Amino acid sequence: MESLNPISSNSFGADVHLSTKDVHVWFGQRHVLEGVNLEFPVNSVTALIGPSGCGKSTFIRTLNRMHELIPNAKLAGEVLLKGQNIYAVGVDPIQVRINIGMVFQKPNPFPTMTIRGNVLSGLRLSGKHSRNEDELVENSLQAASLWNEVKDRLDSPAGSLSGGQQQRLCIARALALAPDVLLMDEPCSALDPGSTIRIEETIRSISKNMTVVIVTHNMQQAQRVSEQTAFFLAEDNNPGYVVEAGLTNDIFHNPKDKRTEDYVSGRFG
Amino acid sequence: MTTETLRLVTPETPWRVRSKSQLVYIFIASTLPAALTFLIADQMKLAGLIALTIVFLPLQLLAASLAALITVGKRGILDAILTVSVLFLMLTMGFLLGSVALSLVQKGFKALSFHAIYQNSFYVTSVTSLEYGGLGHALVGTLVIVGIAVIFAVPIGIAVGVFLTETQSRMRGSVRFLSQAMTGLPSIVSGLFVFAFLYLTGWVQRSAILGSVALFLLMLPTIIRLSEEVLKLVPQELRYAALALGAPRHKAFFQVIFPAARSGIITTCLLGTARVIGETAPLIVLVTYLPSTNFNPLSGDMASMPTYIYSWLKFSTDLANQRAWGGALALMILVGVLFTLARFFGRKRF
Ligand SMILES: Nc1ncnc2c1ncn2[C@@H]1O[C@H](COP(=O)(O)OP(=O)(O)OP(=O)(O)O)[C@@H](O)[C@H]1O
Ligand SMILES: [Mg+2]
Repeated sequence: MESLNPISSNSFGADVHLSTKDVHVWFGQRHVLEGVNLEFPVNSVTALIGPSGCGKSTFIRTLNRMHELIPNAKLAGEVLLKGQNIYAVGVDPIQVRINIGMVFQKPNPFPTMTIRGNVLSGLRLSGKHSRNEDELVENSLQAASLWNEVKDRLDSPAGSLSGGQQQRLCIARALALAPDVLLMDEPCSALDPGSTIRIEETIRSISKNMTVVIVTHNMQQAQRVSEQTAFFLAEDNNPGYVVEAGLTNDIFHNPKDKRTEDYVSGRFG
Repeated sequence: MTTETLRLVTPETPWRVRSKSQLVYIFIASTLPAALTFLIADQMKLAGLIALTIVFLPLQLLAASLAALITVGKRGILDAILTVSVLFLMLTMGFLLGSVALSLVQKGFKALSFHAIYQNSFYVTSVTSLEYGGLGHALVGTLVIVGIAVIFAVPIGIAVGVFLTETQSRMRGSVRFLSQAMTGLPSIVSGLFVFAFLYLTGWVQRSAILGSVALFLLMLPTIIRLSEEVLKLVPQELRYAALALGAPRHKAFFQVIFPAARSGIITTCLLGTARVIGETAPLIVLVTYLPSTNFNPLSGDMASMPTYIYSWLKFSTDLANQRAWGGALALMILVGVLFTLARFFGRKRF
């Protein structure tokens, strides 16, 4: 597809942290993403929007090498983290995933661990250490706006939380590792308005020193949290692609493409 | 708030409430067939088992179906038939199991006593009083022979299960095929294989370890198969969650996947052990029965519970017979104790 509008670092005015060069994705023979070129500047928040099934989750998984865990996954193109291709031969996927954290679309806390254990699981699993674990647990849970609800039962199993609480626990778990880049796949889709607002505040505050990529179906949310937006679309069984990308303000109020305008104004999708 | 709403509210289960007429039909449908069967069997002098299967079961199915048709309608019939069949089969199985357990206890308890658990049968003949001798040597033997098989089969079997579920290796297909083929290995063939391969070739001298190897071969495919199934039940999302946090594969396995599958893995080990603990054929071929205690699996003959039982069955005296039954009872108790212990340690924490 032509008409790609790679967000240029000039228009945003910061160094590029993460970028993709002509990324294509297949599952087996099925081509699901085509020619994605995007740039994510340092400490920016980027919203990925688009109708269901257009490949947003698939794209976000290619950014921290989670894509390759799906058995018949294929990929072409480059994903550059500070200029270095994370798919280059010899790059350790574990290091990539430590640097680029992720919150999944479906909450997936570890059911055999306590709430506290879940928050600290990233440290244990990646072999990092923290000087003050209690403080880390509290700060992470505060940032995920879960602290007040669970501070008295940090040692109860994670499975005893409600769905929305589990999702916030997963956010806390990702934040505890303080990654350079945080990928969030519809983190608020299971949350009530209050928690959603608090998560958005968290995103705003962590983006002071973290680059955030967030998938969302909520147009208001995209406008509230993000500086730039990319609109994905997949038409009639064709692979998904980026129709338009640019500053959030432009995408929502001054879109260049008719389809973007229709989508953000709720006329289709 | 009105006084009406202040009355005490008690927890109820309204979906279980049945009307009076329903209760009457259910009562008739569950007593009439039994009463009729009793009368018919009495008149025609039918044997109990025949009366139960060709008179009672059809009558009961019919009565339950009719009652269901009247109280619920057409869609109740299948439900009634299934309920009756399941209950009937359950009671039959319960009866069979109960009678096995009962005859084991009845015939075996005389040969079981405190001293029987730690004494061996070295000076015991088929006419020695039950006050002397016991099956301690066979208990030791079974624990040694089965224990060695378990120590090797459990880690290797689980490791193969992990290989099958946690890796993307191309070899998985053939490994899975081989282990499934091994599941069908008859135990006597396993015994003969070890006999030919390890003993006749002179690699291993006559000793209990030969039996352990045969039991190992029987246990391994069961453990591989079951641990693969149990690990497959761990949701894929948990693996992704762990790996996305930057976990190396082994840490993701030991800290997330294994804990999630732990109680299933323990059941796997139990079923594997159950598969071999009463296994007799390979032990008869490979490990000669010894009436005294031998702790050393690497040399000499050794007793085991199955061969102990078998050795007394060869005599026709009452006393020998009682010792054999005592052995069977002890074996059952041993299995019960092992399973209770494993269940206790394997219970879910959350
Ligand atoms: N594991 C998989 N195997 C095969 N096809 C897949 C797999 N995962 C996703 N797909 C396909 O890839 C396409 C993109 O899916 P993806 O999950 O990325 O959509 P999405 O944009 O995240 O949608 P949603 O907004 O509903 O989450 C879909 O057509 C989907 O059917
Ligand atoms: Mg998605």
